[in-house]
Amino acid sequence: MSVAAYQSTGSRVLRALFGWLVVGVFFFPIYYWFSIAFRPESQVFTKPPLVFGWDFTAKSFEEVFGISFGGEQAATSLAGGGNFFMTPYLIDTVIVAVGSTALVIVIATLASYALSRMRIRGQHHFVFWILSTRMMPPVAIAIPMFFIYKEIGLMDTHLGIILVHALMNLPLAVLLLKSFFDDIPQEIDEAALIDGASRWTIFRRIVLPMAIGGIAATAVLCFIFSWTEFLFVLTLTQTGLKTIPVVSSTFVTSTGTAWGKMAALGVGAMVPAFIFILLVQKNLVRGLTMGGLKQ
Amino acid sequence: MVERSALAAVVPTEAHPTGSTEARGSFIAAPRALLSDSAWPWLAPVVSLLVVFALFPFFYNVWLSFQEFVPRERALEFVGTDNWVKLFGDARMWGALGITLLYTGVCLIVQVALGLGIALLLDSDDPGFGILRGVLTLTLVIPPAITGMMFLLLEDAQYGVITWMLQGLGFFETGSILGNANTALAGVMLADIWQWTPFMVLIFLAGLRAMPTEPFESAVIDGASSWQIFRRLTLPMLGRVMAIAVLLRGIDLFRTFDYVFVMTSGGPGTATYTLSLYAWQQTFSFINWGYGAAISLFSLFVILIVANVFVAATRLRW
Repeated sequence: MSVAAYQSTGSRVLRALFGWLVVGVFFFPIYYWFSIAFRPESQVFTKPPLVFGWDFTAKSFEEVFGISFGGEQAATSLAGGGNFFMTPYLIDTVIVAVGSTALVIVIATLASYALSRMRIRGQHHFVFWILSTRMMPPVAIAIPMFFIYKEIGLMDTHLGIILVHALMNLPLAVLLLKSFFDDIPQEIDEAALIDGASRWTIFRRIVLPMAIGGIAATAVLCFIFSWTEFLFVLTLTQTGLKTIPVVSSTFVTSTGTAWGKMAALGVGAMVPAFIFILLVQKNLVRGLTMGGLKQ
Repeated sequence: MVERSALAAVVPTEAHPTGSTEARGSFIAAPRALLSDSAWPWLAPVVSLLVVFALFPFFYNVWLSFQEFVPRERALEFVGTDNWVKLFGDARMWGALGITLLYTGVCLIVQVALGLGIALLLDSDDPGFGILRGVLTLTLVIPPAITGMMFLLLEDAQYGVITWMLQGLGFFETGSILGNANTALAGVMLADIWQWTPFMVLIFLAGLRAMPTEPFESAVIDGASSWQIFRRLTLPMLGRVMAIAVLLRGIDLFRTFDYVFVMTSGGPGTATYTLSLYAWQQTFSFINWGYGAAISLFSLFVILIVANVFVAATRLRW
């Protein structure tokens, strides 16, 4: 809902200008990071800093991802020696983020529907309890998990990280999904119940399609949280897998930080996540405007 | 349509070997437990995951907080309430709690205020605003650990763009943002605010866009000013969404780890020591596992109390 429709052309232009300005300020660090990824290492530290007018080179990018954009042969060794292609880690990150998002969305959708429609005794406290599982400092979850994972063999596996990320996102997903389900009028359910439909049928055929936008919005947030999570992956993996936030620390060495490579990794890691957002974008917009259903 | 599929759900599909694929349902046959009116089968997966992965760590930490790792024996030893006694007399812990509360409070206020302002600004159907909303979400995609590195570079004492700009504007002549005990926390907050304000914008926009149009139309027709519409209509209608956003963000801010870990490691001195970082350091640097667990539990209790007060004050009911 926007009141903008009733405003004069002048104030609408002003609003657009101001909007671009504000978003521009927020975009600036990303632009600068992007420029670091595509400039020679010698231009990272200049005085004053080079915001514009840097020389373009894809060298850092080629080195980090082990791909060549033609031209000169990309050198592939890092200070520590050996190859350091990031592509396998990018794939690990995608597997973990997609897996944990799928898991959390399936179980949280079921739970939030029940919480929205079939109230349980002490529901308020039950929901607060779910929320409270997000309140523990991450270190305090990582250590017990480390010991159980060693026992049951989930240490250093994709499944282990998927489970712990699903757990981490569960409170957020349940809270958001429940509020989206609450937005759908109860009358629809009641009419279908009278017609003899089961709860599952109502959920599957009526409520789920109507809430798809909200589910998409929740999925995007869960994906982002899993995509960017650092501490659990750091403590619960050794060599089996690594995700982007954790491998980025390998560019910080005792002899200095490989800024160009780190920026290239950061930029490269934005691409799959942004593709995921674009894929659900159509549903996202619908989710954000879904309240039109409300009376 | 509804009735037919309801029937398909009740009658096992094997009874209809010639039944149409439509009758089988589109992707999952109805699980029997989910046909009735009981909520628990629906909640079972969530509850079982939480019992295994959330209750166990909690009780493990409670147990661990009464133990301590003895390096000589390479084993845990029961120490009674030593860790808890130590906790309440530990000046560094209280300092870390103060810094965590300051960090949470300032970031939360700035993120809510900026988030609300930007959400109102971008809540328009004019051309270009869709792109603006999309671009703004880009900040969320970057892992906080990498954001920390990014701001480390931007706030570099000699070559950082932000330092250079602030010096150009005359805020300070020399010295670094993160190297100075007075400004280091603000430097870390800047990264947090930059990354998470768009999260608030996203949630507030969802709330704004979900509002019915009629009250606003009649308010405009009745000649209400923009401020009146905002104060009397938008803000009350956004209340619940805002409360949930503040709660979720507040919890995450209180446990903040990545930015301080990457950018300052708590320094200079103890200027940016948060509780999460202190618990991490006690656990991994000093190998005081028991004491680390006690700090974590203490931190959990503080958030629980604050969150309960907040939920009661905002009359949030689930």
